[in-house]
Amino acid sequence: MKTSFTLGLALAVLSPIAIGHHSYAMFDLGQTVTLKGTIRDFQWTNPHSWIWIDVPDAKGAMQQWGIEGMSPNYLARRGWNKHTLNPGDKVSLMIHPLKGADHGGSFLSVTLADGTVMRQSGEPPPSSAPSSAP
Amino acid sequence: MKTPVRHIGRLLAAASILFAPLASPGFAAHNVAATTPDLGGVWEVTMGVRTRPGTGTVELPSLTPEYAQKLAAFKAAQTQGEDEESPQANCVPPGMPAIMNQPYPIELLFTPGKITIVIEAYSQTRRIFLDGRKHPPDPDLTYNGHSIGHWEGDTLVVDSVGFTPDTALGPSQGYRHSDQMHILERFRLTDPNTMEVVTIIDDPKALTKPFSATKVLKRHREWDIAEYICEQNNRNLATDKGKAGIILNH
Repeated sequence: MKTSFTLGLALAVLSPIAIGHHSYAMFDLGQTVTLKGTIRDFQWTNPHSWIWIDVPDAKGAMQQWGIEGMSPNYLARRGWNKHTLNPGDKVSLMIHPLKGADHGGSFLSVTLADGTVMRQSGEPPPSSAPSSAP
Repeated sequence: MKTPVRHIGRLLAAASILFAPLASPGFAAHNVAATTPDLGGVWEVTMGVRTRPGTGTVELPSLTPEYAQKLAAFKAAQTQGEDEESPQANCVPPGMPAIMNQPYPIELLFTPGKITIVIEAYSQTRRIFLDGRKHPPDPDLTYNGHSIGHWEGDTLVVDSVGFTPDTALGPSQGYRHSDQMHILERFRLTDPNTMEVVTIIDDPKALTKPFSATKVLKRHREWDIAEYICEQNNRNLATDKGKAGIILNH
């Protein structure tokens, strides 16, 4: 988690506009929350992917959370696809929550049922195709 | 930079003399392209590299008093909870120069007399004319401007003008530019799949001196540009005061 957060901070300092689509002013970047629950829907859409997850609250009642991730374009180049998360999957999500009481946040990582951890940040793997450039 | 951007007119004049003996603009560009480095293909900016050449530090634009005042007003509004969000949250493209510094790839396409840059983010396109034409004397003001290019040895030099002041100079929305913004970009390979782009921005109304930034892009020959329809499922928003919002209905 430290890696993702550090990278996010570095991007924010170096090139706020380069982050792209919007600011992170609405998220509490100082707080990291773990959500354990069941995937309701995984929207593989631009400009952001959205993970919709049902999470039991302290009283056992289900609460729906909406978690914003990077776009399919970005994620597909880093090992994700539209089947990475599926309705019914039991997962653990790490997020920066929204400021305030709404059940939303910014995606950091997900631990799948088989223990695989998926992140979204970092450089893509180097090009494997042969180069024809001089 | 050894070549102040205000002198680019002279550089272009020299370039046009070099190309003058060739039979036609189309032929000239085709001939030049055959002997110039291969910059084609899909490239992605390596994030976090945005430095002044030779210093390794981040340089901020040096604003004129008028534009420093705009920045101060922006920062004051932010303390009131305004201007925390940019128009990009509403899917408005950022325009130049920020459109060249997105976390999505670009593709350079070479055809006779023209280089086309297909930009994945916001589905944008830049056209860089290498057919010998000049900028229009009174260009319409657009997000990505009017671009002409030429080669200086192994470096592609792109000169752009005609920008709407509706877009930001960056690095934040508080740094504005005028309709006089003038951008010079120097593209060159530093190894077969690494491209350095030095961007020099001048603006006689907004800047006291040219501002430069260098970025490094990596070529991904196995990649294609993907669709990016920002309006598809955009749940972010900026209010007319620049307040950030998010839509959580599902």
